[in-house]
Amino acid sequence: MDVDPPNYDNVTINDSDVHSIVLSYLVHNCYRETVESFAAGTGMNQPADYLEDIEKRKKIFQCALEGNALKAIELTEQLAPDLLESNKDLHFDLLSLHFVELVRSKKCNEALEFAQTKLTPFGKVQKYVEKLEDFMALLAYEEPEKSPMFHLLSLEHRQQVVDSLNRAILAHAKLPSHTAMERLIQQTTVVRQLLNQDHAKDGHPPFALKDFLNG
Amino acid sequence: MGGVEDDEPASKRVKLACGELKGNPNGSLLSEPSVGSSRDLMARLLQSEDDEEVIGSKGVIKKVEFVQIIVKALYSLGYKKSGAHLEEESGIPLHSSAVNMFMNQILDGNWGGSVVTLRSIGLKDESTIKSASFLILEQKFFELLDAEKVMDALKTLRTEIAPLCASSNQLRELSSNLVSLSQGPSAGSSNQANLRAKSRPKLLQELQELLPPTVMVPERRLEQLVEQALTLQRDACVFHNSLDREMSLYTDHKCGRDQIPSKTLQILEAHSDEVWFLKFSHNGKYLASSSNDRSAIIWEVSANGEVSLKHKLSGHHKPVSSVSWSSDDHKLLTCGVEESVRCWDVASGECLHVYEKAGVGLVSCGWSPDGKWIFSGVNDRSISVWGLDGKEIECWKGQRTLRISDLEITSDGKEIMSISKETAILILDREAKSERVIEEDQTITSFSLSRDNRYLLVNLVGQEIHLWNIDGDINLVAKYKGHKRTRFVIKSCFGGSEQAFIASGSEDSQVYIWHRGSGELIGTLPGHSGSVNCVSWNPVNPHMLASASDDGTIRIWGLNSHLQQQKKQQQVHSNGGSIAAACNGRT
Repeated sequence: MDVDPPNYDNVTINDSDVHSIVLSYLVHNCYRETVESFAAGTGMNQPADYLEDIEKRKKIFQCALEGNALKAIELTEQLAPDLLESNKDLHFDLLSLHFVELVRSKKCNEALEFAQTKLTPFGKVQKYVEKLEDFMALLAYEEPEKSPMFHLLSLEHRQQVVDSLNRAILAHAKLPSHTAMERLIQQTTVVRQLLNQDHAKDGHPPFALKDFLNG
Repeated sequence: MGGVEDDEPASKRVKLACGELKGNPNGSLLSEPSVGSSRDLMARLLQSEDDEEVIGSKGVIKKVEFVQIIVKALYSLGYKKSGAHLEEESGIPLHSSAVNMFMNQILDGNWGGSVVTLRSIGLKDESTIKSASFLILEQKFFELLDAEKVMDALKTLRTEIAPLCASSNQLRELSSNLVSLSQGPSAGSSNQANLRAKSRPKLLQELQELLPPTVMVPERRLEQLVEQALTLQRDACVFHNSLDREMSLYTDHKCGRDQIPSKTLQILEAHSDEVWFLKFSHNGKYLASSSNDRSAIIWEVSANGEVSLKHKLSGHHKPVSSVSWSSDDHKLLTCGVEESVRCWDVASGECLHVYEKAGVGLVSCGWSPDGKWIFSGVNDRSISVWGLDGKEIECWKGQRTLRISDLEITSDGKEIMSISKETAILILDREAKSERVIEEDQTITSFSLSRDNRYLLVNLVGQEIHLWNIDGDINLVAKYKGHKRTRFVIKSCFGGSEQAFIASGSEDSQVYIWHRGSGELIGTLPGHSGSVNCVSWNPVNPHMLASASDDGTIRIWGLNSHLQQQKKQQQVHSNGGSIAAACNGRT
C-alpha cells in the first residue's frame, strides 16, 4: 500500500478548524501575547477574562518550575479554590517540590520539620507512604544528587508535576486538559503504526514524527 | 613449654587431674590415674604450646577454650563471683581486655568509643566490622530518636551511617523513621510502647552473634555440648522406650529391657474364631479388632491400662479383614472380605452406613484425614472413593490394588498406597496424579505406614520385613528377620516411643520386636497358641502392645513391672472380689 495515497488531497481542511487547533495549543501553554496577536490576526473572538486566566496560570507554573512551590500552591488556591483538596496526588507532589528545594539548598533540618508537619498527614494512605519514604531517603545523603533518588531533584521531575497541575487546572475550568494538537498527533502516530504492522513486509520504516516533519 | 606451668602451685595440677572428663559417649572409660601421677599430666601439658594446651585423653580439648566455656556457664548461671574467681585463678580471662572494654562501652552507650574499640579487637573480616559498626550506629540513631533528638539523629544518619551503608534500602528504612506516621499525640510522648531502640543488652547479644566465637564465646555453649552428648547416648540406646525426658549426666544412658512390653497383662476372649486384625485408635483409648467370626469389636482402654469390651459390631456376612479409625476416633470402618465396607459410630456402636458397589466386592478400607471421604480397594483391582453419604466420587481403575492388600493414606491426605502387583507397592499422589512404585524382589504380603509418613514397613513371603524410605527418593533402609511366615498374611507395625521399634506377628505363635535403628531383635513374646496375625502398638502408651491370633484371643502386653503390680492387686481382690472376665495373671 502506498504510504501517502493520492486521496489525501480529497480531504478538505477548514481554516477555522486549523485556527482552533493552533489557538488551543497556545492557550494550553500560556503564550498570552501570542494568543492575543493570533486572535487578532485571525479575527477570532476571545472573552476578556480568558486572557487573565492564562496569565494567572502562567504565574503558577513559573513559580513551580523555579522551585517556589509554596507560592504556586497559594496562587492555585486562589484560581481554583477546591482543586488541591480534591486532587491529593497533586497536592502531595507540589508540597514535595518544596521539600526537595529545601534539601537542595542543604536546609536539612527545615526540610525534616516541613516533612513532619506537611507531608506526614498524607501518610494515612498507603501509596503516599512509599512516596514519602522516597523523599525521606534523600535526607540521608550528604550529596543527594548521588543518591538513588536523584531524579526527584531534577528539572524533568518538576516539569512533570507542573504539567499535571496545568491539566488539572484546565479540567477544573471545564477546558480540555489535552490540546487538540496533542490528540491529533497521538492519533496519527497510532494509526500509522497499525498500518505499518499490517504491511511490515512492504519494507516501510516505522512512523516517526520527526522524520515526517523533516519532510 | 614448661615455663608457664612451673609457676603454678602443685595443688592446681591435682585439681585438674580430678576434674577431667571421666567418660565419653562412645563408652570407653578414661582410666584416670590417681593423684600421684601428676607427672603424667605435666608431661601431657608440656607437649603443647601455650595457647594450644590440650586436656583429655584424646588430646582434642583445648584448655583455654574449656576453661572459658566453664567461666561463661558460671556467669550465665548467675555465679558472678565464681566466674570472676575462676578467671583469676586459672589466669585465663573470658574476654580479652579490648573485648571487655567494648562490652562496657556498648552498655554505657559510648557509641563512638565502641566503634573505635571494634577495630582493635582483632577481627579479620572487614565486612564483620562494617556490620557491627552499622548495628552500633543504628542503635545510636534510634536512641536519639527515642529521646526526641531528631536533628541529632539526622546528623548521625547523614554523616556516620550513610558512608557505611552498602544498601540503599537500609538507609531508606532508617530515614523513614525520621518522621512519625502515627496519628497519636506524638508531641513529647515517647512511652515504653513506642520506643524504637532495642535494649542495650539485646544489642550486645546481637553483636555477640555477629562476632566470631574466638572473639566472644557464644552463650550457652557448654549446655549445647552436653545436650549433644545426651542426644547421642539416647539414640544409641537400643531399649529406650520411655516417655520421660530425664537423663542423668552421671552415667551414660542405657535403658534395660524392662522398658519394652514383654509380659501378658490380659487375654481378651470375645471373638469366636480367628482374630485377623487389630488397631489402636489414634488417642490410644480404644482398640478395634476384626475376626473370621464376621464381627468386629471395639474395646475400651481405661486410664490404668485395663481393656474391656465396649461394642460388638455385627452385620457383615463375611469375615472382617481390617478396620480403620477416623482421625478423630469417632468413627470406625470395617471391611468384609470381598463384600462391603461398614461405617460405625464408636460411641454408640451403631452402623451408620454400608458402602458397597454392585457386582464387585470391597477388599480394604481407609479414611481421608479430614473425615470426609472413604477409600476402598475393590476386587476388580480399582480403588474407589466415596463421600460420607455413600455417593461414589471417584474411581481409579487399572491395576491399583490386589484382592488381598492393605490400604494406607498419608496424614495430609495427599498420597494413597496399596499393593498393586505381587511385588510392588503403588504410591498414588492424588493431587499431582502421579505415581511412584516400590519394587520388591519377592511377593509382598502386607505393609504399614509410619506416623511421620516417611517410611513404609513391608512384609514379604520370604520371612523378611523391609523398611523403605519414601520421603523424596525411594530407598531401602533396613531389614528385619527372625520371625516365621509360610502360609498366612502376617502384619507388622511401628511402635514405641518415637516409633523406634518394629513389632510383628509370626506363625510360630510369638510376637517379635526389633529395634528399628539397629535392626537388632530385642524380644520374642510367647503365649499365644496359634499364629499371631497382627500386632498394634498403642500410639499414646509406648508400654502397651496388642496382638491378634488364630487361637481366637487378643493379648495385651505390658511391662514386667506392670505385671507385678497387677499380681499384687489381684491378691487383694481375690478374697471375694470379682475380677474383670478378661483378666488373668497367667502368661
